[in-house]
Amino acid sequence: MKKFLGVLVGIAVSWWLASFGQVVEIEFNTLFHEADAKAMEDIVNLFQSLHPEIKVRLVQGRWAQYYAELRLSVIAGNPPQLGICHVNRLVEMVDYLTPLDASPIGNLLELGGIDPALFPEATWKAGQMDGHQYLIPLDTHGWGLWYNKDIFAAAGLDPDKPPQTYDEFVAACEAIKKAGFYAFHPAEDALPRKLRRAWEIFYYQMGGELFDPAFTHATFNNEKGLKALEFLVNIFNAYGWNVVGGNGYAQFTAGKLGMLFAGNWFYPTVKQSGVNFGYAPVPNLFGIPYTWGASHQLCIPLQPAGTSREVYLAAMKLARFITENAYLWTMTGGHIAANSKALEDPRLLASEYWKESGHILNDMIQQGLVRFPINHPRGSELEKAIETYIELAVVGQISPAEALAKAEAECNRILRGG
Amino acid sequence: MGGRKETFFLPPNVLPMKRFLSKRFRREIEGLLFVFPYLLLWGTFVLWPLGYGIYLSLFDWHPIRGSKFVGLANYVALFKDVRFLNALSNSFKFAAMVVPLVSIVAFLFALLLWGWKGNRHLSSFAQAVFFFPYLLTVSVIAIAWRWLLDPDFGFVTFIFKYFRIPAPTFLSDPFWALPAVALATVWWLSGYRMVVFQAALGDIPQELFEVAILDGAHLNQMLFRVILPLMKPAILFSLVLTTISAFRTFGQVLMMTEGGPGRATEVLALYIYWNAFEYFRIGRAAAAGVVMLFVTLLLTLLGVKILGFRSELY
Repeated sequence: MKKFLGVLVGIAVSWWLASFGQVVEIEFNTLFHEADAKAMEDIVNLFQSLHPEIKVRLVQGRWAQYYAELRLSVIAGNPPQLGICHVNRLVEMVDYLTPLDASPIGNLLELGGIDPALFPEATWKAGQMDGHQYLIPLDTHGWGLWYNKDIFAAAGLDPDKPPQTYDEFVAACEAIKKAGFYAFHPAEDALPRKLRRAWEIFYYQMGGELFDPAFTHATFNNEKGLKALEFLVNIFNAYGWNVVGGNGYAQFTAGKLGMLFAGNWFYPTVKQSGVNFGYAPVPNLFGIPYTWGASHQLCIPLQPAGTSREVYLAAMKLARFITENAYLWTMTGGHIAANSKALEDPRLLASEYWKESGHILNDMIQQGLVRFPINHPRGSELEKAIETYIELAVVGQISPAEALAKAEAECNRILRGG
Repeated sequence: MGGRKETFFLPPNVLPMKRFLSKRFRREIEGLLFVFPYLLLWGTFVLWPLGYGIYLSLFDWHPIRGSKFVGLANYVALFKDVRFLNALSNSFKFAAMVVPLVSIVAFLFALLLWGWKGNRHLSSFAQAVFFFPYLLTVSVIAIAWRWLLDPDFGFVTFIFKYFRIPAPTFLSDPFWALPAVALATVWWLSGYRMVVFQAALGDIPQELFEVAILDGAHLNQMLFRVILPLMKPAILFSLVLTTISAFRTFGQVLMMTEGGPGRATEVLALYIYWNAFEYFRIGRAAAAGVVMLFVTLLLTLLGVKILGFRSELY
């Protein structure tokens, strides 16, 4: 009997001692791909080298199905311990996320040492809902004006002075067109959602709003909305600055396009293409120089009951590390870090990316000129309704007025629960 | 002697059982045991998801906040949704383009290879060329055709420009977008159907052709009186398979047009995808899936009714 008890005590002591060196495993899912995925992988690898006690399984690259997978993983009781959420998706995803200030093990923000003061107030507050903090800001990203300096020179324009007003912009477009190039593409690769973003930029610049504050009805079918859409349609038609269906990315990297509205993620591609490019803020065409943008934030998906304290803390440790080292995220991925300390990192400030384009996008962000997408439980459906008719107007299937009327009717139907 | 051996080797409790079960019943049990592993997999991965899909279509599914039984409300909402009706109509249009085209192209390929069977090298090379697209994944097909049809850099656009014909912007023009996706699909699927037709052509006894030639049959008569009637099962198989593929078309539409311009190429599978994975309206998506199932089932039965299962040979 004594021998048996001795063996039992021995096993218990060994198990207790072994638990000191135990590795906590967590999964981190993102929707990033290409340069973004590489940047996040670098940060996680750095974390792993410094924190061998936490093993991170990084899963990336499924942009299209990401939110569906995140929801289904929560339902299945097998969620990742850390994830990414676009700030405008919070309202759709809130049921599937852990409130960071009221988690089953307490206030994770305090336990994880996250300091809200390090983040821009508006971006931090964008991660709140129903009185709880659900998200930790990672970055802000957005569109700017990419232009080809060689084409500018060929068109008799100053390559160091990109257009910033409506008149300058129109004059530049006409000069580039005359020189035999595509003058301007307002929407990256012209996918429907990109065309909508371009229209939103023009519309927001006129001071327009898509919906009333309570989201009871659409408010874009008006004179400003129409003027913005006519401008967009004319770019591909009457003005002859580009062609319907033209891919702005491909045109720009092939050296055939003078100016392009595109996101900061275009930087690695354009750099690789060898085009002599410049980067500028989106020009002030209609009153307020707004641009389109969004923010990636970190979240802890809703964990199954009984998830250990160590797992939550490991996830928070990784989240904090990512935000504090987001200079790497900015340098490689191009998105502007939300953590102010990361933004002051000398390695970032000395980087080519920062000098060539990053600081300009950061200025737009600091000036509050980046407009985030709408925040509504059926936001994706509303956006889809708008972009469907905008695209039809661009390809000449329906008139801009008809497009706005149809989009308005569909949005109102969706808002009524249809 | 044999009976004694059997008695000797079998455990004693087997004998009464053996007497109890008739020979025929035992044979049926044996058959069932052989197909049991397949039935198990089929039940787990086909029947159960199908049943669960129908079950989901009756709910406003929200497992976190609580799902609500809504009866047929999802189906009613579907048929009131202009977007669903447009997707259903696009799927029919797409199938109407793809099914006959794939069958005709595949049949022509098969005939060509059959005609070249004397030249083994040419026949093998052509077979590899015709079959090759089927080996590619849908994403490769979609990207390749997006590039081919690109209004700036596309090869098709280049050909049009070469002959000084204004090239349509295929994927941005609501008139051309669906036919363009259908064309890519035909290019993709014809190789496999060709193999089916080739096998069926090879099964036709040589004597029948010889008799037809002796009787002075023309090529047309040979085709319509000998070849096609004898290939009925293969044609039916190809039609059913292609119809199902056409109604399930998803990847090439998502990657080539995202359902646009506007909703000109939004087909049923894409509608289901948006609802399930973008808007997370699982109940409505499941209902649309059930409708898709019944449409393909009806079309398949229609094909069987018109063509019949049997060829003239058997």
